Amino acid sequence: MAIVQPKSIKYRIWATHALVCLFLLAILFPLFMVVMISFREGNFATNVSDSIFGLFFPGFDSLTLDHWRLALGMSYIDPNGKEVLPPFPVLRWLWNSIYISVVTAAFIVVLSTTSAYAFARLNFSGKSLILDCMLVFQMFPAVLALVAIYALFDNIGSYIPALGLNSHGGLILSYMGGIALHIWTIKGYFETIDASLEEAAAIDGATPWQAFRLVLLPLSVPILAVVFILAFIGTITEVPVASILLTDNVNDYTLAVGSQQYMASQDKKWGDFAAAAVMSGLPITVVFLLAQHWLVGGLTAGGVKG
Amino acid sequence: MAEVTLTNVLKNYKLGVLKDTLRNINLDIKDGEFIVFVGPSGCGKSTLLRMVAGLEDITGGELKIDGVYMNDIPPVERGVGMVFQSYALYPHMDVRENMAFGLKLKKFDKDTIEKRVAHASKILGLEALMDRKPKALSGGQRQRVAIGRSIVQQPNVFLFDEPLSNLDAALRVKMRIEIAKLHKELNATIIYVTHDQVEAMTLADRIAVLSPLKDSAETNLEQFGSPLELYHNPCNKFVAGFIGSPKMNFLKGQLIEIGEERCRVKLNTGDVVTACVDARRANVGDKVELGIRPEHLVPVDHPDAENRLSGVVQVAEHLGAESFVYMDVDGEDFTVKAASEIPVDTGDSLEVGIPAKACYLFDHEEKAFRRTSKYNRS
Amino acid sequence: MLADGQYAFAALFSVVIGGGLAAFWFKRFYPHRYIYPGIASMIIFIIFPLVYTVYIAFTNYSDNNLFTLERAEEFHLQKKYRVEGGEYKFSIVESSNKGLYSLVLTTGGQTTADGSVTPVEVYKSSEIRFYDKDDMAKETTRLSVEKNTIPVEKVDSNYQPTPCGIKCTMKFRDFLKTVKVSLDSNELSMIDLHTFGAMRKKFTKLADGKVLGNGRMFKNPHLLLDNQTQKLFMPDMERGYFRYIDDKTGDFEGENYTPGFRVGVGFSHFKRIFTDNNIREPFIKIFIWTVVFALGTVGITLAIGMVLACFVQWEFLKGRAIYRVILILPYAVPSFISILVFKGLFNENFGEINRIIDFVFGFKPEWTTSPNLARMMLLIVNAWLGYPYMMILCMGLLKSIPDDLYEASAMDGAGPFQNFFNITVPLLWKPLFPLLIASFAFNFNNFVLIMLLTNGGPDYLPEPGSTTATMAGATDLLVSYTYRLAFEGGAGGHDYGLASAIATMIFVLVGTLAVVQLKLTKKDAGR
Repeated sequence: MAIVQPKSIKYRIWATHALVCLFLLAILFPLFMVVMISFREGNFATNVSDSIFGLFFPGFDSLTLDHWRLALGMSYIDPNGKEVLPPFPVLRWLWNSIYISVVTAAFIVVLSTTSAYAFARLNFSGKSLILDCMLVFQMFPAVLALVAIYALFDNIGSYIPALGLNSHGGLILSYMGGIALHIWTIKGYFETIDASLEEAAAIDGATPWQAFRLVLLPLSVPILAVVFILAFIGTITEVPVASILLTDNVNDYTLAVGSQQYMASQDKKWGDFAAAAVMSGLPITVVFLLAQHWLVGGLTAGGVKG
Repeated sequence: MAEVTLTNVLKNYKLGVLKDTLRNINLDIKDGEFIVFVGPSGCGKSTLLRMVAGLEDITGGELKIDGVYMNDIPPVERGVGMVFQSYALYPHMDVRENMAFGLKLKKFDKDTIEKRVAHASKILGLEALMDRKPKALSGGQRQRVAIGRSIVQQPNVFLFDEPLSNLDAALRVKMRIEIAKLHKELNATIIYVTHDQVEAMTLADRIAVLSPLKDSAETNLEQFGSPLELYHNPCNKFVAGFIGSPKMNFLKGQLIEIGEERCRVKLNTGDVVTACVDARRANVGDKVELGIRPEHLVPVDHPDAENRLSGVVQVAEHLGAESFVYMDVDGEDFTVKAASEIPVDTGDSLEVGIPAKACYLFDHEEKAFRRTSKYNRS
Repeated sequence: MLADGQYAFAALFSVVIGGGLAAFWFKRFYPHRYIYPGIASMIIFIIFPLVYTVYIAFTNYSDNNLFTLERAEEFHLQKKYRVEGGEYKFSIVESSNKGLYSLVLTTGGQTTADGSVTPVEVYKSSEIRFYDKDDMAKETTRLSVEKNTIPVEKVDSNYQPTPCGIKCTMKFRDFLKTVKVSLDSNELSMIDLHTFGAMRKKFTKLADGKVLGNGRMFKNPHLLLDNQTQKLFMPDMERGYFRYIDDKTGDFEGENYTPGFRVGVGFSHFKRIFTDNNIREPFIKIFIWTVVFALGTVGITLAIGMVLACFVQWEFLKGRAIYRVILILPYAVPSFISILVFKGLFNENFGEINRIIDFVFGFKPEWTTSPNLARMMLLIVNAWLGYPYMMILCMGLLKSIPDDLYEASAMDGAGPFQNFFNITVPLLWKPLFPLLIASFAFNFNNFVLIMLLTNGGPDYLPEPGSTTATMAGATDLLVSYTYRLAFEGGAGGHDYGLASAIATMIFVLVGTLAVVQLKLTKKDAGR
């Protein structure tokens, strides 16, 4: 579009820049603050000298890496000569979160790909009904059925302890229910791939499995990556089910369950939390931003095409 | 190479729920023949082709290739090669890999694969493009790769599913000629599906005309014959209307005189027309329909102009070498194709001559009466 | 808290396994093999919990009615009462063999009413191993101890051991609580830290029934006889508790005896929600706030997201790619982290936000104690969290608006505002609407935000004197209220039945929204 614009557009551009920048300041404030707080001495703002400047930027005198030491699982010696131990095993939580999310996302990709293949390519009775039901059911929040989910895993655990309560296996299993949207996303993508490709493969002598693996799958790598990352992020940020299923052992917590501990107790560890939050939140944020280009496509495709 | 025989073939996607798609299709395709399935959309021509390929199951009847019963044989064992309407090139493989894919799956050794791919690419002039991905090819090139992919398989029967419909008009003509050449070169049996009757007429040894299946009809294979046979002796009004461009003109009327060689028809316009048609199986007074091809109409001063008809000109198109005049004859559309310029304009009245030998006649069931002569405008 | 669901679980697993067998056995179901794993996990982890929750809504499942009838009966059958007399003071004597102890029981020596002194009798067990607290924490030890009965033998009444005192008693308390001592024909258990006493079973089961005072034969599979009072005791299936019955008429009388058991209660939870003031008032308040919150969030995020999307798609704005990335940032940060960050920043006392407001305006807003400020805080935080999603959606949809519409409007002399309100908004509205419904449903159930940020607080004070009062807070959404009813419990303890009833109502609402959304999306796609 190259419509000839009036002169006044200059002011409009500047006004827009100003507006957006102002908004950005407000948006970035909490993120900026949490980074600063993670380097600030002590757990409370009251510890800082009373100037408002010191609130934003810790001065050189109050700059400290103590919170980071704790977040990284190291201890430090406080001014009174007492050793301060890490309050929580954050690295352990981060590791739990990452490996649970990777395994979950991998399983979700496999499960939803096979289902999506059938929905996109095969004809069977009740297909559209099942598809519709999936969309309706995935809107019900798991929080409301937590009592039932707890009971279910207690029951499963009495037969297979590795998949019961307080097990990561059980938690991963519980996330397998949330594949409806992913099935829709992948199915939508499969449908954009010409079905005659697989027919051509059949004529070339491929078995259905070969046609799926050698033709359809290589073409679907982008969408499978999107689903993997969406599932990964969805899992790593899931709170309610993880809070109910993992209660016994602090070392078993995921980040989403554990990080509440900082702010839950009477003795709020604000500074320690800040360091832990930056440390654990950063990798997830970076993954998201790197993948955002495809994710945005995937999000809108899944959402808009529905 | 191979013969293909279809006997009483039936297709129904959901027996008892949906209507039949194809019924009683009987075709006897000889070795090396170029067969075209043609018909309007929804007539099942692509379905029929896919049934030959093994991509659709055959609900009833039987399919034989070289005398072998093929109904239950998977596509790869039927010895067919197929070119899809969308080309169906594997987007993640380059041209070479696309062509070699099927051979690799069949575990051919490297040398054979290379040789066959090289041979096919030479025939199709693809040598320079072997390392490109399909995305980087033009429509015509993709088309050729798709053909090449089936050539390397050395199939007994080539199947083409509307292969030219995605190309622009100029390229379509070019590819049509290439396919015709290819047929000569390979000397293979080819079954080719199109909705374009010009493609059908130019390429085919024999044409199978299909129509959308009517509930009561015994079959929807309207006619199976050589292009000229279809042109000169269509067995019914559907084929007559479908073959030929522009379309045949139809005028309703009544038989008033029946002879061995000729008959006379009184049209609803009031005009009486003599036609070289053997209508003896009908009775005087029967309702009939007269068909005249636009290219067979002559000026009234022409020696063949035994009958005359007049109408009001709606639009006249002058293309230089020929002219088309679209007239209104007593409420019916009527097209005239003239070899020379006709000096008429919208609103004018025009009288044209109809040679008796150029007339087609159809009974009330739209079946054709036997024509007693052919007509070519001299 | 479960036990009973067995039938439900059996049904679930037979459906899942049966479906699997059918899919893999019959060739007709070949395509279903592909969808089986996915569908089966959805049935197990989504649909089953849903159905089970609805089922709980029609029972009295709660802290007081936790067990099945069988388990409750078992519990009552294990009750014992102390037989009059038959009490023995005990002491622990350490043996010369290290690590072994014996138990010494003494009775008598008291002065009775008529002035005589009862004879002193002393009993002693052999030297055995005692287990301390750590040992008893082990399952195997505990089980073996439970089965053991310690025999004691009479010794000389002048036997004067040196007991190792209360310290020993405390050390082996768990062990002593578990063991039984057989003395003559009596079985003794520890009553308090000094005494063992004879105990007897309080109830015996009357499998054959009993003839009542009115001459009628009374039979019930769960009929129990109280050995102490000789009264009849049986489950009241309407209340979900065991109660005594009148010996003559067989009618229930008197109070409920815990533990209760689970029975179906029909629609009574739903009735309670609409008629019991202690529940209805907070419920209505919470419902209204939930709707306001969801609508408010959708409205705010949509407005911000749509305007920003237009900005960052505006071709004359340089650097819009960078803006776009930064604007998406709140969506990229895991929400549980950013919510907790806000929780810290909004803290009334040490939070940085209040420090700044205090510095500039000289006061500290009470974000966590004032209901309205807490709600405002939620809306602010949720706008921060939610606008990038709307922006992303709008950006995608904006691309589908053909440029020539704006070219046409330029010919008509429209300015940017006219463009926005006359072209952009109306064209985005239609495809957006089903997505807005989904967003509404999501925020209607935005549990994580509430749980992490305010946990529903500030709480409403319960009506003075009410017993059924449940905790409810000014920022509670229906979904967090449900969670708190089920997992935190109020004055009435954990009330799973009531929580599930509210959950069921939310299911109906969400289901309706989902179906509407589906219809709209399909209509849209079919356009």
